[in-house]
This record gives sequence, C-alpha cells and structure tokens, in this order.
Amino acid sequence: MHKQTVRRSGLTMPVVTPRFVDNAWRRGCDFIVIDLEDSVPRHLKAHARSLVKDAIANVSKGGAEAFTRINHDSVAADLEGAVWPGLKRIKYPKTEHASEVRLLDEIITRLERERGIAPGSVEIDCGIETAAGTTNVFEIAAASPRVKEFGASAGGYDYSRDLGVEMFVDFDQFVYGKGEAELAARTLGLGVRASPFVVNKTGSVSDPDRALHQAQATRKIGIRLGGGGLNPAVVEGHTVGLTPTADDVRDAKWVIEQYRQLAATSDTWRDVDGRVIDRYESARARDMLEWAALCAARDKEKAEAVARVKTAQTAQK
Amino acid sequence: MSKQTRRSWLLVPASKPELIARAARSGADAIVLDLAEFVVDGDRHAARKNMQAAMQTVRAGGAEVFAQVDPAALHADLHACVWPGLVGVVVTRAESVAQIKEAATVLSRLENERGLASDTLQIIPALETARGNHAAFEIGRASPRVSALTLGRADLIMDLRAEPSDEIHLMPYLMQRLIIIAGAAGVTPLGAWWRAPDRGLFATAENTYAAGQRGRAIGFKGALCLCDHQVAPLNRAYG
Repeated sequence: MHKQTVRRSGLTMPVVTPRFVDNAWRRGCDFIVIDLEDSVPRHLKAHARSLVKDAIANVSKGGAEAFTRINHDSVAADLEGAVWPGLKRIKYPKTEHASEVRLLDEIITRLERERGIAPGSVEIDCGIETAAGTTNVFEIAAASPRVKEFGASAGGYDYSRDLGVEMFVDFDQFVYGKGEAELAARTLGLGVRASPFVVNKTGSVSDPDRALHQAQATRKIGIRLGGGGLNPAVVEGHTVGLTPTADDVRDAKWVIEQYRQLAATSDTWRDVDGRVIDRYESARARDMLEWAALCAARDKEKAEAVARVKTAQTAQK
Repeated sequence: MSKQTRRSWLLVPASKPELIARAARSGADAIVLDLAEFVVDGDRHAARKNMQAAMQTVRAGGAEVFAQVDPAALHADLHACVWPGLVGVVVTRAESVAQIKEAATVLSRLENERGLASDTLQIIPALETARGNHAAFEIGRASPRVSALTLGRADLIMDLRAEPSDEIHLMPYLMQRLIIIAGAAGVTPLGAWWRAPDRGLFATAENTYAAGQRGRAIGFKGALCLCDHQVAPLNRAYG
C-alpha cells in the first residue's frame, strides 16, 4: 500500500469567491480543493485560472494541502493556471479513458520542469463519475504513477446523474461501480478511497452529525482517506470520524498483547471473551496505532501552522 | 471432472490430529487438510509428515480429502499431500496464472511418480487478495484441473470489515463477481454470504445456515468452513 498522507477532511471552494478562499486556512482541513470546475460560472473561467497561483499559498497557510480541480474539457489552459509550486494534486473530474490521464501527466511533467517543481510531485486524482469511466477503472488507475489514491465517487451527484441512479435511497445502489474502482486500487497497491453505505435520505451536504457517522463507518472498515465536502460544517466530523479514538488505541494495544500470548502456542487463533484473536487482528491493531500516530502528527503540524498565521497577523496589527 | 455437489468443506489444520479425528466425524462432504493458513511455522514440518495418516483418518470417516497448500511453499506442500486418495488441492492466496500452472505441473509429475491416475487431481484457487480477484477469470482458465473458485478468507486477508448494514465491505461485489466469472470459466463457485459478526469463515451454526441460504440464492454451490458445528447447517443450506 502506498504510504499515506493524512487526508481525512477537505473543502472544495470556488477560487473566484474571496471570502471562501481567504478563510480556508481557518477551517481545520487536511486539504483544500481550489475549484475551477462546477462551482465556477462559465464566464469566469479565464479569470479563475489567473487566481490559482496566489490561492495555493493562501489556502495552505493553515497547514492544509492545496489541490486544484480542473475542468474536464479545458485541460491545457487549466493546468497552465494551476500547476505552481505548492500544489499537491490535480483533481480531474469525469475521467473516462487512460489516454486522458496520460495527457495530464505529460503536461504536468512539462510544467513541473518549467516552473521549478519537484519532478513527479504533483499527483493526479481521477474522478470516476460516469459509466464509461467505471468500465475503464483499471487502465485509468494504472495510467500514471501520479495516481496515488483511487476510488469511485459514489453518491456523487454527477455519478448518479450519468447512471440515472437515485441518490438518496436506503440501500447501497453503487455496489458494482464502487467495487470495480476499489478492486483496481487494491490490485495496483494505491491508497483506497471508499465509503461504506450509510443511509442519507435527506440529501444534506452540511449535516455535521451525518458527516461524523459516515466518517466513523469509513474508519471502521479500515479506510483512511476522506473525500472532503462542500460545507465547513462537515470538516470536523470528517477529521474526528477518521481519526482513531482513545478507545481504538487502547483496544489495539490489548489485541497486540493477546496476540503476543497466542504466538507462544501452536494455535493460529483463539477466542478471547467472544473475540477472535489472530494474526489479522494483530496486523490491524498495529495499523491502527500507526494511523493514530500519523493523525496526531498531522494535527500538531496544522496547529503549528495556524499559530504562525495568527502570530504574523497580530504582529501586523 | 466430478460435478457432484460438495455441500460442506471443513478446513482443519494438518498439524492437529485430535481436530482431524473430530473433523472426520463431522459429516462434512469434503475435508481440507490445511498446511498453510492454520499451521504455525514451527509445526509445518510435522504437519507435512502427518499428512498420510491424516488422510486415512478422514477417508475412514467417508469424506473426500483435499489439502490446502501455500503457493510460497508449493513444492514442499504438494510433495507432502499427493498420495492415493487425495481428490485435489486448495491453493491459498492464489494470485496468478503462473502459480496455477506451476501447481499443475508438479501435480502431473507426482501423479506419475506415485501411481495416481493422470490429470485427475483438482485445483481450487482461493482468491483471497485483490490481485487474485483481478485475475480471477484467467486463473479459472489456467488449467483444466481447476474445478472451483472460492474467496476463502478474503475478508481477513484483504482486511474487509463490517459496514453499518452488517454487510462485509466489498464482499457483495466480490461474491457476485466470483460467481459470474466461475460460470464463465466453467468451474464451481464455492462460498457463503457471510455477514457481521461472521468473520474469516467462522460463525455460529445459526449464522452459518443463514449465510449458506443466502449463498445458495446467489449461486454458490457449497462452502468452506472452520468448525464442525458449521457442517450440518451447510449440508442443510446446500442440500
């Protein structure tokens, strides 16, 4: 598995709306997606491209990673505007063919060279939001080493619309599409972005409780990556829900101790108080402790960045 | 190749004579003597040496005998288990066509050397990793010896856990995919539709029966299990 960066929570925001961009650093996000796509009206696209370079530094000063979501149909112009030092990732919506990803890779490679960016450092995040994309997931995910994390954006509006699938139902309507993308990600050893099915009948994108539940369910199936959201109200739920709790850490230590005792016998598994202990539980417990440490380090890093901004602002006044 | 239905396949560590004796009395249609997943490293040698005696115990109880082998120790495991009376081998964590072809080649040689009828030993790849599942169709067609495909303990090996619905993450997709691919490859899909808290083929008798019924409904023909209390429920569900 790809060594993961901690990406639990994020916000996507139109680069043309200064009050969003200027306040992004206060939101506590692990990443910010500077949007050139759906949230930017067509007549502002050219203007939007000219804003990305400054927005990268602006949104990341609180410790968040800066990503940019480009448009499916204006790749060359959008990349010219977006690939600047500090950018961690290009998010490419509605990916349908591996050739699209290879083209992005070529252009990004050139821009990295021309603009003094470490070669290969800008990631590509392929959105799988259509039937055609779903049929080509493996080739898309394998198309560039810049693709580090992968999954279908299940529950997304575009995916639902393309497939004619209703969004808010009480069963998992994306079993196949999500499965195809996740199997490709796992086969290629990429970071897996996946979301377990959690009922959302209201369609709310700003409900903090729902955000927390969804993220907790995601953590419990062993997934570490969050897809981010659109409303600041969901950020904390995503961050907290994907972070191991104190109970998780205590439990992981207990499992490791039980396994240590088991390993001294000729048995490969044992039932302890109704709980199976074996090498798989032990491996998961070790992963949990590692993840808890990574999350704590990331939270500290962000807190320090925020403190630096505040100190600088006080000094200015 | 035999198309008879084996409703229940009980896995038992080849290193544990007392469990093998119990398994022989369980009523399982097939018993899989395991050399890979449930044998600690220190017992591997003894497990291989015990194989012939274990096979006799199992056959005396009336079950068909399979062995479960580790692709990382393919030669040693196959040398230990290919004796008259063996019906086939389950290959754990099968990931590639090359592994299956290699197993087939070794089986041919051992059939020849040890007086078994040529080309009779079956291979059942257990697709327990993402790579194995990705290559499922090619693996299913890798040798005429391949008689069945199963997901084995993919839930543990791929670390797939329960969703809020109690479905085990990704398994509904992997199960249906395996059943369709097995059909296309002309081999038998083995498995049951386990749900939380079922885990790694382990479940109560009641939950095993429910998993078997759901499994049969989506096209599985018989399932692997770990404990003798799971045998009767599987025989009923797949009967």
